[in-house]
Parts: sequence; structure tokens; C-alpha cells
Amino acid sequence: MPNELKDARAPAVPKIMRSPRSLTLEITARCNLRCRYCYFFNNPEMEYRDLSTSEWLKFFDELGALGVMNVTLAGGEPFIREDLPALIDGVVRNRMRFSLLSNGALITDEIAAIIARTGRCEYVQVSVDGASAAVHDSCRGKGSFEGAIRGIRTLQRHGINVGVRVTIHRSNVHDLENIAHFLLDELGLPNFGTNAAGYLGTCCVNADDLLLNMEERKVAMATLLRLTEHYKGRISANAGPLEEGRVWRTMEEARAQGKSAFSMGGHLTACGCPSNKISVRADGAIVPCNMLNHIELGRINRDPLEEVWKTSPALNQLRNRHTIPLSDFEHCAGCSYIPYCTGNCPGLAYSITGMVDHPSPDACLRRFLKEGGTLA
Amino acid sequence: MNQMDKPIANPLVVLREEFDDWAVLFNPDTADAVGTNPVGVAVWKLMDGKRSLAEILTKIKSSFDDTPDAAIKEISSFVDRLAENGFVGLELERK
Repeated sequence: MPNELKDARAPAVPKIMRSPRSLTLEITARCNLRCRYCYFFNNPEMEYRDLSTSEWLKFFDELGALGVMNVTLAGGEPFIREDLPALIDGVVRNRMRFSLLSNGALITDEIAAIIARTGRCEYVQVSVDGASAAVHDSCRGKGSFEGAIRGIRTLQRHGINVGVRVTIHRSNVHDLENIAHFLLDELGLPNFGTNAAGYLGTCCVNADDLLLNMEERKVAMATLLRLTEHYKGRISANAGPLEEGRVWRTMEEARAQGKSAFSMGGHLTACGCPSNKISVRADGAIVPCNMLNHIELGRINRDPLEEVWKTSPALNQLRNRHTIPLSDFEHCAGCSYIPYCTGNCPGLAYSITGMVDHPSPDACLRRFLKEGGTLA
Repeated sequence: MNQMDKPIANPLVVLREEFDDWAVLFNPDTADAVGTNPVGVAVWKLMDGKRSLAEILTKIKSSFDDTPDAAIKEISSFVDRLAENGFVGLELERK
């Protein structure tokens, strides 16, 4: 393809904001659980150590000065930090809102009351993978179900918005109806989100036991599409079988009807995160995303975040990923879905292929259909 | 808001300058956000509780070329909207 034609088809280059709107901060490398598919552990690039309270507080002051709006406090397990109240106070003092990602087990009345009092908490996300201890604990460890539900009930008692995330794997794929009933009808949550165990972190060494095979993937997709209709949109997804089911149906419909290319289609346009978000590892390394934590852009309290955000060559390369046409890849040769495809998650692409600038094979519709997949 | 009122920007609200002079005003307590153009940013920075709205409008007129009367009305209603949503308050008379 002549260069000028390629350029004309490439999506416009997004402007860079002066600073990120939000950050994900892995405030600890410690966790009370050892889930079999955790993306966080088993990353060779990562140094598993915690920063001190004062190091985080100093960084929060920098975020406040930059006008950052939100931080997501993750880990590890953020509630394992004894100084969590002090960290939350630092976030609030710097005029930011916050969310927490947790397994729920360490959430006490005391810390829930502190969170509620701030009035700044968007949500606390608790992972729930089953409607019973037998299913949930199979990947997360004995007692983890009880801890998660206790944590959710504590948060509810304090009026904190609870965002449950269900990670789908081989041990719970046939339990999805029970999970939806348990979370939405019994626990009374307004909604919950889903994704699937991906080839990341600890999952890489347990992949055969955890990652959905073709039949299970089809079951997950069909069940979730049916459930989301039944529960009228109370089940959401940004990735995993439900999202794939929706996106792939739209792509197939567009291809069958010969529709023109989607605005984000035909290039590595996924994802848009580097235009408004950035992350920090537990050891203080600034990285584009927790799923791309091998790309070190700098260090907090040593490298000014604003400078990293605006001038980091690696970050700008990631931002320009959207100019790379899918037709450049052997993986995509001759694919009729190219005009509707975004190449999907760069983190998963890297984990599977060792290349960031590559479409994610796991999210390939053509491959899914070729290997026996069907769209409901 | 009366022209002689002295608006004061809520110190809790974050002025987030994003692209060029365009900005977002963000109230972290309510999660409300308002997008604004360079004129709005200039108005925001002048609302210190010492200047009246009339003085702020005069200052804006002199800072930006060819400010039409309609724009002045828009600025007044912009400040009113900010006040209604808690982004702006009025400096109380000091005894």
C-alpha cells in the first residue's frame, strides 16, 4: 500500500494532555492471597518491595499539583498496608478521588468508616469468582470466599459503592448463572463486571488448568450474553467473553453487510489508555499500564511525572501504536475483519507474543471461528 | 449574580489545564466536572473574592481582543452556573 494511502487511513494523532487524568498505583507488593491466575505476581521485571508512607505521600503532592483527578489504589492487596488511612488522607488532601481494588478479606469496619467519611471513594472493587466457597476458593485459596463476602457486606454497611469483578476461568465457567443470581439477587449489588483469566503473571504457569478452552469460551459467551439480557444490563465487561461476544457480533454483522471500516478499525488502536492514564508499580517505577509493567518510563520522586508524561519516548511510541496498520502483520494476512478490528490489548499481545506492537492473538475473531468458535 | 458581587473560586475545585488553554474544573467532593475555554480559565483565575464580577468582566474585555457584548453575557451566565453548582461562592462582608 502506498504510504500516502496508509496515512490517509490512519486515525488522527491524539493530542497529549498536560498531565494524566488518572493513575493506577500498586501501593503494595504484598498480598494475603496467592490466586492461581494473578496478573501481579510472577513478573520477572518487577521488584517486589513496598515504598514507604512518606514516599507515596510526596508523590501524591506531585499529583495534586498536576491536577490529577483520580487514583486507583491497587496491589498486591491494598488493605494489607497498615498505613492505608494515611495514604487515603494524602489522596484526599491533594483534591483527588480514589478507588481500591481488593480481595475483600482485610476490609474492617474501621477502615470502611474511614473510607466512607472521605466522601471521595468512587468504589471498592472486590473479586468474587463463585457463588460458593467451593468454586471461589478453588483458585483463590481456602477461606477467601468468606473473606470476600464479609468485605462486601462491610462496605455495604458503610454505604460504600462496591464494584464486584468476576474473573472467568475453567473452574467457574459453568457456575455463571449461580454467580449472577448470588451477586445481583442475594447480595443486592446494582451490577458487576466480568473478565477472563488471561495469559499474564501467575496464570502463565497454570494456564492449562485455568484458561478457557474453545468449548468453555463458547459457553461463557453464550451464558453471559443471555444473563446480561435477563438482568437488563447489570452485567458489564471491558474484556473477556462478554465483551468479545458483543464486539465480535458487531464485527461479523459489519463484515457480512460490507459496511465501511469502523473509525477505530484497521490499526492497532487499542487501547486508548496512554492518552489519559498512567501507572506506578509497587517499587516506584512509572509504567504505561499494569499490564505493560516491563516498560519502565521513570521513577517516582526522581523523575517529574509531567516530564515523563509528555516526553517519554517509550510512552509516545505506545501512543503512536494506532498508526500501525493491521495489514502489516502476517497474523492478519487476508483477514476480512481487518476494517473492524482494533488489534485489542497490547498487554496481552506482549504477554503472548513478546511484542507490544502486535495484535493480541487471544482476541482474534478469525482465529476463534477457525478453531471451532461460533457467535451466538 | 449581581455585578457588584465578589465571586470567589471554591478552593477545593481543581483547575486542570489540559490542552493549550482549555481546561476542566473538577470538584473532587461531588465528582462534577465542567469543561471551559481560555476565557473561562482567565475568569476562574480572577475570582479571588476581591474583585467584583463587573471588575472581572472589564479585565477580560481588556485582556481579550474584540470581546463582543454577547460574550460578556455568556461569561456572566457561566459564573452563575458555577455558583449554582458550588464551584464558586461569594466573599462575605468582613466585620
